Amino acid sequence: MDRYKKYGVEDFVWDIAFRQWVLAPTREDETLWTAWLIENPERKHKVDQARQIVSALRIEEQPLEDQEIRDVIADSLSKINNTERYEVTTLPLVKRFYSSIWFKMAASIVILIGVGLYVKSYYSSLINPSYQAAGVPETEIVIEKVNSDDQDMLVQLPDQSTVTLSPGSKIRYVKEFTHTKRDVTLIGEAFFDVAKDPHRSFFVYANELITKVLGTSFRVKAYPSTSEVTVEVKTGRVSVFAKSDPELHSKLTKRELEGLVLTPNQKVTFMREAVKMVKTLVESPEMVLPKSQLPHFVFEDIPASEAFAKIGKAYGIDIIYDEAVLRDCPLTAELDSQPLNEKLSILCKAVEADYEIVDGQIIIHSRGCK
Amino acid sequence: MNSFIQRSNAPDDHMMWQRFIAGEVAAFNDLMSSQFRSLFHYGSKFSRDREFVKDSIQDLFLLLWERRERLRDDVILKPYLMASLRRLMHRKSDLKARIEMEEFKGQEAPFELQFSVEQHYIEEESTLLLAENLKKLLNDLPPRQKEVVYLKYYQELDRSQIAEIMEVSPQTVSNLLQIALKHLKTHWRAEFLTFFLLHFLV
Repeated sequence: MDRYKKYGVEDFVWDIAFRQWVLAPTREDETLWTAWLIENPERKHKVDQARQIVSALRIEEQPLEDQEIRDVIADSLSKINNTERYEVTTLPLVKRFYSSIWFKMAASIVILIGVGLYVKSYYSSLINPSYQAAGVPETEIVIEKVNSDDQDMLVQLPDQSTVTLSPGSKIRYVKEFTHTKRDVTLIGEAFFDVAKDPHRSFFVYANELITKVLGTSFRVKAYPSTSEVTVEVKTGRVSVFAKSDPELHSKLTKRELEGLVLTPNQKVTFMREAVKMVKTLVESPEMVLPKSQLPHFVFEDIPASEAFAKIGKAYGIDIIYDEAVLRDCPLTAELDSQPLNEKLSILCKAVEADYEIVDGQIIIHSRGCK
Repeated sequence: MNSFIQRSNAPDDHMMWQRFIAGEVAAFNDLMSSQFRSLFHYGSKFSRDREFVKDSIQDLFLLLWERRERLRDDVILKPYLMASLRRLMHRKSDLKARIEMEEFKGQEAPFELQFSVEQHYIEEESTLLLAENLKKLLNDLPPRQKEVVYLKYYQELDRSQIAEIMEVSPQTVSNLLQIALKHLKTHWRAEFLTFFLLHFLV
């Protein structure tokens, strides 16, 4: 312990043995240091100061609730239990197959092809440096598809979702999605038909906009050169938010759809310059009910309110009207063939009303028919 | 009393790891429960985004579980998990930048850590000033020096473990540590002197 005789406060503070005595003393430490201080009383003040400083200097840690830890662990356990079941059902089959002659023959062929592909990819990587590197797990291999043709291109994603990529557009995704998320980046335009997976949300990153879904179909237009980004929903529900959203991360990680939620036939337009989102309806809404349930829009002397309700249901769009006022407006019309906007115009004309589209809903203004 | 200092691996760490590798679901639960908080504290040094840190720890455990048959059974748990988490977080943020087609900026990885002084440990005004000065010097260290000091003095890891975590040579660890300590000691001493000079003059 001789070296300590010349120690200043700054030396004691950064001495491992000293810190251990201060922070988590053993009985030996205690005996040793007490004895040393009796022999070297002139160091006592320095030792005292150093001891207080070592105890007082803490690291500021982010608070973390026990409940948060429990939640993550519960979620993880449900995920490993899922894969467990999957492995149990496939394992015996694979084992028997390993030993068969067919397997061995097939394996040799696969190896040969594998070597061939490796050599090929090695040479092509020399010419065309890609993101792919040897030994990188599949969840980290980035795949990019570019549609340089003049027709739509169908892309199958690793989760069986499909993307119809418009000409001149490209998408990026990883070869194998992780357990927690499915991320796709789009430049240009594409129609997404997303496979249902309640455990893994599906995200489309397009310019400044992020679209989050669990399983549904929708179209995103995000060309780099245009001033708008749009998302149109065909089926299901999607939520849309800006990359600049201050609560971005919670919106990305929560299972619920938060933010601006779109339902079928709704469309959001994001104005890139103004950083503003406007919800409206798609240009030509389609009926959302299955074919067998499609109603006939033949109205014979029924209240107008009923006609609007029927139309709203068929298109999956909220039509807002004053029930008390429109109940007394009788209506006769046959509207099977017209698109939605014409249906609405005809109905409104008949009962002397107007309609407007606000925030993805249709609002009927009427003064009544009395 | 000093919850942030863990001097040695808990004796049952090794057992827990063996059970984990053997595929015992209960061990997955035990391991994650016992390590989550300290890994969260460590991961928070690389990102302020707490959800990202939590996700990364989850990904780490799921990944280890998936590959458990190929993992070594004799690892020292704490530095092993810290090194894995650090690597995974850096890869994830790198990958995220690539997927989102942002240009990779190749900047030095952040290591954000703030020291604070808990005043109730301090008895004299002059000691408090010293502690505050040291705190400021520590907070202002460059990221890599800060990380070395943190791993050495606040996680009590040895040189080779630190080298493995930071993915540098043991020699680099020694150099970084020496530079950091020299800086801390000389500047602190200088502050000392000014302080006492002022004290006598005024």
